[in-house]
Amino acid sequence: MEKETLILIRDKAGLAILFLMPMFLIFVMTLIQDSTFKELDETQINILYLDLDGDSLGTGIENGLRSSGFFNVTTVGEDTGLNKENMNRRVAEGKFQIGILVESGATEAIRDKARSVIQNAFFGDQAEDLEKHGLMEPGKIVVYFDPVIKNSYKQTVMSALQNFTFNVEAKINFEYFADEVTQQLDTENKLKFDPEGGVIIEELYASTKFTEIVPNSVQHNVPAWTVFAMFFIIIPLTGNIIKERDSGSALRLRLIPGSYLVSMLAKAGLYVVVCLIQFVLMMVVGMYILPMFGTPALDPGGHRTALIVLAFAVALAATGYGIMLGTIATTHDQAASFGAVSVIILAALGGVWVPVFIMPGIMQTISTFSPLNWGLEGFYNIFLRGGGFPEIMKHLMLLIGFFILTVGVAFQYRRIRRI
Amino acid sequence: MSEIPVIQVKDLSKTYRGSETPALNRISLSIPGNEIFGLLGPNGAGKTTTLHILCGFIKKDAGSVVMNGLTLEKNERDFKKIIGLVPQEIAVYESLTPVENLRFYGKMYGLEPERLNYRISECLALMSLEKSRNKLVKTFSGGMKRRLNLIAGILHEPSILFLDEPTVGVDVQSRTVILDHLKELNAKGMTIIYTSHYLEEAEQFCSTVAIIDAGQIIVSGRPKELIRSVDGCNSLEMLYLHITGRKLRDN
Repeated sequence: MEKETLILIRDKAGLAILFLMPMFLIFVMTLIQDSTFKELDETQINILYLDLDGDSLGTGIENGLRSSGFFNVTTVGEDTGLNKENMNRRVAEGKFQIGILVESGATEAIRDKARSVIQNAFFGDQAEDLEKHGLMEPGKIVVYFDPVIKNSYKQTVMSALQNFTFNVEAKINFEYFADEVTQQLDTENKLKFDPEGGVIIEELYASTKFTEIVPNSVQHNVPAWTVFAMFFIIIPLTGNIIKERDSGSALRLRLIPGSYLVSMLAKAGLYVVVCLIQFVLMMVVGMYILPMFGTPALDPGGHRTALIVLAFAVALAATGYGIMLGTIATTHDQAASFGAVSVIILAALGGVWVPVFIMPGIMQTISTFSPLNWGLEGFYNIFLRGGGFPEIMKHLMLLIGFFILTVGVAFQYRRIRRI
Repeated sequence: MSEIPVIQVKDLSKTYRGSETPALNRISLSIPGNEIFGLLGPNGAGKTTTLHILCGFIKKDAGSVVMNGLTLEKNERDFKKIIGLVPQEIAVYESLTPVENLRFYGKMYGLEPERLNYRISECLALMSLEKSRNKLVKTFSGGMKRRLNLIAGILHEPSILFLDEPTVGVDVQSRTVILDHLKELNAKGMTIIYTSHYLEEAEQFCSTVAIIDAGQIIVSGRPKELIRSVDGCNSLEMLYLHITGRKLRDN
């Protein structure tokens, strides 16, 4: 291992790439994915808002949009050129993701509808039939969407609009009902509208253990990209093996009984240590550097020993894969290109980019064969589900088994190649 | 020189997978101890295949190999302990110093630390690399690398040494140092099996040569006797061309 260490530490550029690139990867990917992770609850959507109603509905929607904190609302006062005719064009230009136009008389239409319902309820046939008089035209809200907007944004806005409209309608209906009841009962005590419902929705994150870890982009992305970066150790490792083989050193080593095993174990030992250093550095990025850029700090969970053992198992699996590829590949280019693409595919299958649960059924089955999935699920059990050794035992076994399998394949391949 | 064969090869055959012609076709060699044996031949003649089978890198299809009384198949580990190899490639690590390289190979061979340090200093001095013992190999000239390559092959004091073109691409000074040292080792009892395309060097250096072509040994014997056996030949090179012809060999 002394020889391997000396070779590694003397390659200053290689060393920098080995340790700085994974840190940079974690930093960039987490920051990029931070915005998409927050899209439904934290990212502000730019809305162009034109209230031609000027009444309860128009005001209620504007107040609702502003107070939600999810939207950045621009009204006619802030955009002097805004009018009904150019709203469509303004949204299409892309500066605003959404345009909302509350047509004139929308609140009045709600009132007419409420009045009609109450009168029908209390006076039956004697009620003034507003629909017959053509006064029951429904109020109108037009929503313009930028074609590039994601469906999830669209759903969020439509859901919020329906909620605000429903609240205004409910209030108007209630007030008409309360007025009528007060008159009918000839009392001074008027019913009061309470916008708070009778039911509250409690939101909790499922966990096998008591945990206060709140899922966020950092908790999701740091472990995912850490596993991905650790597996990229195969590129320098395969390069090291192939370079040694091409230089003739491997030929000389083959003449020394038992040297291949010793040599490969030394390489595995060193690269496992490198992987663990990478892991620690990436954790440092998540815990201390990313928060400087506005993300939450990474919470490593309460089971540090389990975390280190899991990181060790991931490092073993990555190193074993590198040894196998380095032994089988005939050229460095072959190993580098196949190695890089295979890690990307295994990462995609493993759920690094897209969560496994939203993959098609067949892909979910295939993903269970990806060592990156085993590592990632193990990290999620610690980082997000508050798990410890019992929860990661299956993943540990799979990762260590993968190491034994890949190193075994490398040895067997080398033996068979000696035709 | 001892007449008892240290290496006894009989009817050795090898055909690579996918090839129709054999790389080796029932070759037999008997190399006495303390010999400097030159295995000469054009590209693709079977020299490297022979060396690689003798070193245990590839398996033979047929025939037998006995070295120092040990049969290759039955005693591969013991077999490897008595042989050394100086491959044609520079088989040392360029980002290490000579001492670091030799310490690595010495440890792999299981040399005791004290003995290893002594051997490193001794070999570096013999090959005039003492002053560069702590410089990185990548800063070395071709000749220095070749000398270090040789040291790495003899560090564990093998009784049989295989040399695959040990002087290719080096200047006259380095070549002289390398060959002189090899002669010293031979004088101390080491059997040397040597391949080269430098026929003048082989004529001077080898006590016995065999010319191999198309997987078969064409002639073998003392260089001077072989030269005398063909009319009009006055050098090993002339004999070689007489036997192997002037047709170009691409592999």
